[in-house]
Amino acid sequence: MKKLIALALAVMMVLSLSVTAFAAEGDVVLPREETLYFAGQQWGAVNSWNPIGTNQNNSMAIAAGGGQRTIMYETLYMWNILDGKLYGLLANDDYAWNDDMTQLTFTIKDAAKWSDGTDVTAADVIRTFDIGVEIANGTGSTYGPYIESIEGEGKSVTINAKLNDAGQPVNPLKILDFLELTLIAQADWIDQVYEANDGDATAILNDDGLNDAGELEVPYTGPYTRYFDDDQKVIFIRDDNYWGQDESMWGKLPAPKYIAHAMYADNNAGDNALRNGEVDVSQQFTANVQDMWEKDGLPISTYYMDAPYGICVGLPTAWYNMNIPVIAEYPALRKAIAMAVDYDSINANAMTGQSPTFVQAPRSLMNPTDAEQAMYDHDAVADLQWVGNDVDGANALLDEAGLLDTDGDGFREYNGEKISLTAVCPNGWTDWMAAMVEVANAGAKIGIEITTPYPEADTFNAVFTDPDQTEYAIFMWSPDASTPANPWSRVNQFMGMDYVGVQNNWSGNWGQYVNEEADALLKQIPTTTDEATLKDLYTQLTEIYLTEVPSFTLMYRPAVFFTVNESVWTNYPYEGSTHTMADGTEVLVPPTDCTDGFGIAALYDLELVG
Amino acid sequence: MKNTIKQVFHSPKFVGGFVIFVAILLTMIIYPLFNPGNPLQQVSVGTFARPGTYVSLYDATKATSNTLRLPDADEKRVAASLSAEDRVAMVEYFTTMGIDISELDTEDTDALLQMWDDNYDPSVRPKGMTSAKVNYYKRLNTSLQDLKSGDTLVIAEEVDGELVESKKITTTDYVRTGAVANVKTLPLGTDNFGRDVLKELVSATGTSILIGLIAGVVATLIGLTFGLLAGYVGGFLDDFIMFITNIFTVIPGFVLLILITYSIGQEQRGAAVVATVIGLTGWTWTARSVRSQVISLRNRDHVNLSKLSGHSLIRIILTDILPYIASYVVMAFILQVSSGILAEAQLSMLGLGPQTTKVPTLGLMMNWAMLYSAHTNGSWWAYFPVILVITLISFSLNLMNTGLDQVFNPTLRD
Repeated sequence: MKKLIALALAVMMVLSLSVTAFAAEGDVVLPREETLYFAGQQWGAVNSWNPIGTNQNNSMAIAAGGGQRTIMYETLYMWNILDGKLYGLLANDDYAWNDDMTQLTFTIKDAAKWSDGTDVTAADVIRTFDIGVEIANGTGSTYGPYIESIEGEGKSVTINAKLNDAGQPVNPLKILDFLELTLIAQADWIDQVYEANDGDATAILNDDGLNDAGELEVPYTGPYTRYFDDDQKVIFIRDDNYWGQDESMWGKLPAPKYIAHAMYADNNAGDNALRNGEVDVSQQFTANVQDMWEKDGLPISTYYMDAPYGICVGLPTAWYNMNIPVIAEYPALRKAIAMAVDYDSINANAMTGQSPTFVQAPRSLMNPTDAEQAMYDHDAVADLQWVGNDVDGANALLDEAGLLDTDGDGFREYNGEKISLTAVCPNGWTDWMAAMVEVANAGAKIGIEITTPYPEADTFNAVFTDPDQTEYAIFMWSPDASTPANPWSRVNQFMGMDYVGVQNNWSGNWGQYVNEEADALLKQIPTTTDEATLKDLYTQLTEIYLTEVPSFTLMYRPAVFFTVNESVWTNYPYEGSTHTMADGTEVLVPPTDCTDGFGIAALYDLELVG
Repeated sequence: MKNTIKQVFHSPKFVGGFVIFVAILLTMIIYPLFNPGNPLQQVSVGTFARPGTYVSLYDATKATSNTLRLPDADEKRVAASLSAEDRVAMVEYFTTMGIDISELDTEDTDALLQMWDDNYDPSVRPKGMTSAKVNYYKRLNTSLQDLKSGDTLVIAEEVDGELVESKKITTTDYVRTGAVANVKTLPLGTDNFGRDVLKELVSATGTSILIGLIAGVVATLIGLTFGLLAGYVGGFLDDFIMFITNIFTVIPGFVLLILITYSIGQEQRGAAVVATVIGLTGWTWTARSVRSQVISLRNRDHVNLSKLSGHSLIRIILTDILPYIASYVVMAFILQVSSGILAEAQLSMLGLGPQTTKVPTLGLMMNWAMLYSAHTNGSWWAYFPVILVITLISFSLNLMNTGLDQVFNPTLRD
């Protein structure tokens, strides 16, 4: 009898377990042929749907990579990293400056509508900017210093630039950034949130955009909206009433009905899913990505067929911390370490060949695209550039500077103590960790002790954004990759003095480098339109940068990685592929994961295989 | 003593374990003599070079060649550029392009190549063909161009910006590997940093065994001291020591280990420090079992006699108690060494091991192999030998332990 009861209990347990297991799996099943799966963007449960908030981790809906991601909320314009042009999204292709670049005008598309059916108007743009300034969100703090005000009525908008003492616009380039990087929120909704939170800035910034029942409250303009999200996945569903199917925009709806992103434990898990065809678009660094097709014959491809496989516009850089006396005092030390680093190894081993070499794109302030490479005089700085692994040259520099190894322990001394530095990046960022190992190896070759701690990302972020930190001597971070304001914006991050001493500094010049001459040159660039003058300014800045070495770029890297599996969907962007615009013109589609900037055009061109 | 050692070496299990362990130790000592140099030196540019013998292409063209006429040479050459799958894929391409292939014999390489040449156009992108497939045909085309090239290759040198022919190579020219100035054998290939895996493995084994020894000594010393004191003195001291021991037992040792190593920070984390930390968290079970052994010993007659004779506590412990549990302590020490090595491997796998740039350890090798997806891209040589070595060390130590147990434990004696 006892046995019988035990058996019955066991059977019941097994049954109930399997029932719960099936129930858990059965709640959201998406048809594979209608879903585009992503990896490498979202790593944890989505915490907010608020386009004017901060502390977002909503990577699919509210983030920027190779341009702003616009599947749910939209920007006025889309940035195309390939041709460096802005394409109208909510706005028409008619933006224009007045003669002295103090005013920018454009109109909003007649067809542009919110998900609740109302028109997108100038009032929405104005309110989005104003609330940004009031509650100091990303939009406010980034563009507040450059935009005086936004005016307009109905569909026409005027942006008034902030002027300096001389009556010139502070930086017109930043206003172009505003056009492509600011997600427009609905004025009425902003008013509601404002009232609901009694105008408390912190509360508005942290509002998650959901009502008490967990339903989305925020009107959006984009082609997709929230369908399901938990700590395992986030799913977007196409809004079949999307305004963009109007002939003035895309003329049709995007191909996939659903966009889904599972939270993978790490890169390896995401890579495996990509191999198995469970992921269509992967924004992950995959070591030796070419093995997937060359060795394993999988239907996987990247934008370029051969190395570097992607469009490298990012410049992951090692920054010298000027709070460390020996670093601040000896430009020779800074240059020597940078010269001794074996960049070929970083490229071949850390990046597994997914970066142009410093022979292909010589060291400067520019990213490797043709457009930026043409912006400085290569011959003028050729003597200052280095390709790396130059141990003899580095040793000679240090000897000359008087940093010698006097006690014979193999390490050079400064003020009688051996020079011991740290080279730091966050734990788990594989290619950066390997790059830091190469920096440490370079140090060993020239008698500088360099150790490589890998703190967790949170710790790293807290330390390197602190202007007074002396914990990290050399640390890795990437300046801006590609926006309309670049390369100025990036050069400003390398050497601009605006950011020196700023607390909680996410903006730039993380090494606290001070150079009045460079800063003065930088201030001239935004209002300079003559190309020859611009080139001259950038060349002078490059000279200063390569002589003073306040930081050194370790590799070139794509703004977003883009590896696709063509088991289900095909016709992703490939080298030279174009999108046919409504007026019949062909525009190059950048490989920005079918979501960022003009790259979203790819969603309209996707086809099912076979 | 001599007798005991004799007894121990009669245990086949102990001898088995001992031989494996000594073999590993000998390899560690002898291999670097044949292949000296820094084990962390990066020899290959690029990740995960396959195991094999690498012949310098440059030197090979300079070496004197012999002419060998081998019957299957051409066949092999064709097979290297054009596999059976490639042939099928070519036919697929012809079909997609709507070309009549009714008269094509896919085994006839010349005819196939001719047809490919006539019909393949890299600029055409057939509707519906995936990028992966388009790229595949481009690569195939490149490799077919190599096949088509004639029987003679010309080596030219650049002199004053002009190419000057220095040598002609034909398909029947062979070079003896011994005649080439630079030939490098990498028995286990290279890792993600381009380091020679075998060299690194040998050095890492040394470091790991050292870490195991330090951890074992630390853990055994602490465990032994606490166990002896608690067991022999008893009373309040026993309660107090057991209280501490119990606390350490309840906290999962590995969690404690992670927390401590994490808080130390990587700058301070040398091999010796990691080993000490492992030892500091692993002593509890030694303490407990030593204590119970001592409790059973402390009321024996010879101990009581010593007490009556007024011998000091330390003397009693050292001369009347320790010798009786010595065999047990040795066994516990061996197990501590083995678990110390495993703990280092686990820690390093989590990125909490010693610094990559300082010393190679078995755990670090596994960690980087995993970070660079060696297990998914088929680079078995970067991690499998490491696993094998860890397994062998731990297996040999456990085997020795079991052998000793059979000799010393009366209940297990035959």
